[in-house]
Amino acid sequence: MNFSVVSAITRKDVIDAIRHRYLLTALVTPLFVALLFRVMLPGDDNRKPQSLVVHAAAGSGLVAELRNTPQVTIVEAASADATVSEVQKRKAVGGLVVPANFDADLAAGNQPQLTIYVNNQKNLFEQAAFRRLVNQTVRSVAKQPEPANLVWVDVDKKENDPLRDAANMEQVFLPMLLILTFGMTGAFVVPLLIVEEKEKRTLDFLLSSPASLNDIIAGKALTGVVYTLLIGGVLVVINRQLIRNWPLTILTLVLGLVFVVGVGLVVGSLLKNTMQVNTWASFVLIVLLAPSFPSIGITAWFDKAMHLIPTYYLSEALRLSMAGTITSQLWINLAVLLGCTCGVFAGAWWALHRRG
Amino acid sequence: MKAIEVENLSRTFNSLRAVDNISFTVDVGEIFGFLGHNGAGKTTTIRMLSGQLRPSSGRGRVADCDVVAEQQRLRPLIGVVSEHQNLYERMSGRENLEFAARLYQQDMARVDAVLKQVDLLDRAKDKVQNYSNGMKQRLVIARSILHRPQIVFLDEPTRGLDPVVGREIRRLIVDMSKEGVTIFLTTHYMEEADQLCDRVAFLSEGRIVALDTPANLKTAHGKQQVNVTLNNGESVTVALDGEAAGRELQQLLSTGQVKTLHSAEATLEDVFVELAGRRLSE
Repeated sequence: MNFSVVSAITRKDVIDAIRHRYLLTALVTPLFVALLFRVMLPGDDNRKPQSLVVHAAAGSGLVAELRNTPQVTIVEAASADATVSEVQKRKAVGGLVVPANFDADLAAGNQPQLTIYVNNQKNLFEQAAFRRLVNQTVRSVAKQPEPANLVWVDVDKKENDPLRDAANMEQVFLPMLLILTFGMTGAFVVPLLIVEEKEKRTLDFLLSSPASLNDIIAGKALTGVVYTLLIGGVLVVINRQLIRNWPLTILTLVLGLVFVVGVGLVVGSLLKNTMQVNTWASFVLIVLLAPSFPSIGITAWFDKAMHLIPTYYLSEALRLSMAGTITSQLWINLAVLLGCTCGVFAGAWWALHRRG
Repeated sequence: MKAIEVENLSRTFNSLRAVDNISFTVDVGEIFGFLGHNGAGKTTTIRMLSGQLRPSSGRGRVADCDVVAEQQRLRPLIGVVSEHQNLYERMSGRENLEFAARLYQQDMARVDAVLKQVDLLDRAKDKVQNYSNGMKQRLVIARSILHRPQIVFLDEPTRGLDPVVGREIRRLIVDMSKEGVTIFLTTHYMEEADQLCDRVAFLSEGRIVALDTPANLKTAHGKQQVNVTLNNGESVTVALDGEAAGRELQQLLSTGQVKTLHSAEATLEDVFVELAGRRLSE
């Protein structure tokens, strides 16, 4: 493989893709959706008034900090047991039970337990905003990233409502957005880069130049990697507070990225023109994206069918690695994803070389 | 050493024999014309000789490289002008050439030199999608010579261009030849082949049916006669077949009534029709 040729092709495609309206749309869609979620999930600068119930027998700097937060109203509960009923009665978004020695333990780095009640009668976005407020305030008070053991307890949780099982909506949305970014790469970006060379006959020029077929494939794949890293990187950086285990998250992202680039190479080699990409890409995207949605419990078979799609394992691995939950399930997900990636690349190699 | 050596080259697509056992050589610095109908096998031959398509059988050597076994060594030594204007339309003319320069690892200064050579320096920053057909064709030719190839394959370089642009392209081809580049040219235009080519090969249904200089082909297949038009509009044909012809011509000229006098040698088109059975434009 000639690396200067590969880099020349990648450089050309990276610049050319920005001028391609369709490709540009595919590339910025995940950022647009992320922006939409940001608006829907209010942050510090866009917070609706929140009413919180707090029981802190010995007082706490945390409560003082919350009290000083604009748009936040604190209602004090007489006891820890009364906190839940106060949340329900006052229709507060949530409640906190702060242990007596919380501040001292926090200062000593003992990671004290803080129980937080989340009112499930509030909408998902209010809940998410509340969770973020507590997370940020605890870190702000302790001045360290992992200061306390936060125990989240759902109040008035509806039965059979799997959507609300998600511990944190942002931790559901981020994997979704990342898989959307990956899906755009696999379904649109890489296939279009390949198909356009065929359609405009520029592939003939490339194949009569010092570029070998392997150089061309590598150049296209690398362009997909560059754009996915760029968009995915932006999404990860702006949501960095959600990531508890960076090495595992990065490993999962890299595996997912290689997988979707392989999918893109297969799709690009099988399709002949832009119209075919337009027709089939949406279907491919939906298939890739579907497993990342929280189960809505339509039917059991539908949920099981999602297990047949490799991005299911990517989605699960992302959630676990981002949450820092290192279980055997995480390694199984990564192993399945790795196997699928090898399979996809074998398919891509066959599809691209089948015409000799 | 020959620039191109082809021995019993064939290419079959399923049951169709697109190129059927052709053999020829092209000298260094020669302009070699490859003429034939649509589907005669011209483009397939170029694709095989430029390493884009594997021959079904036979052997081809270009610039002393085997077209199958030594593709990577061959590619920097050749330039290809496809029958399609296969440029990156969203990129400027300069960007197209800069990309080619990176592929061929050429100095960027060469880009300006080539743009100047094809008279596109002023429009170098414009996107190719805003170029006229003629400008695009000049850019394709510029790209094919950017890396100073020994051999350039030109597949129908003047097809669909107006006469003025066609003449400009022919000038570029002559300039390349003067610089010692071997030219392998396919064309539909017999006058173009006659004007440019040192030798031409006629291809019909994948086979070479004639190969010689245009002059030899015309002489061999033309009629040896002179057509004389007199002032009164009468036409006289004089067969050039012996002393009697000389006397007859002298007699006509001495009357002072001769308006025009034309030799009736065949055109390349006539020769092609005779050998291939139909006109190129059919």
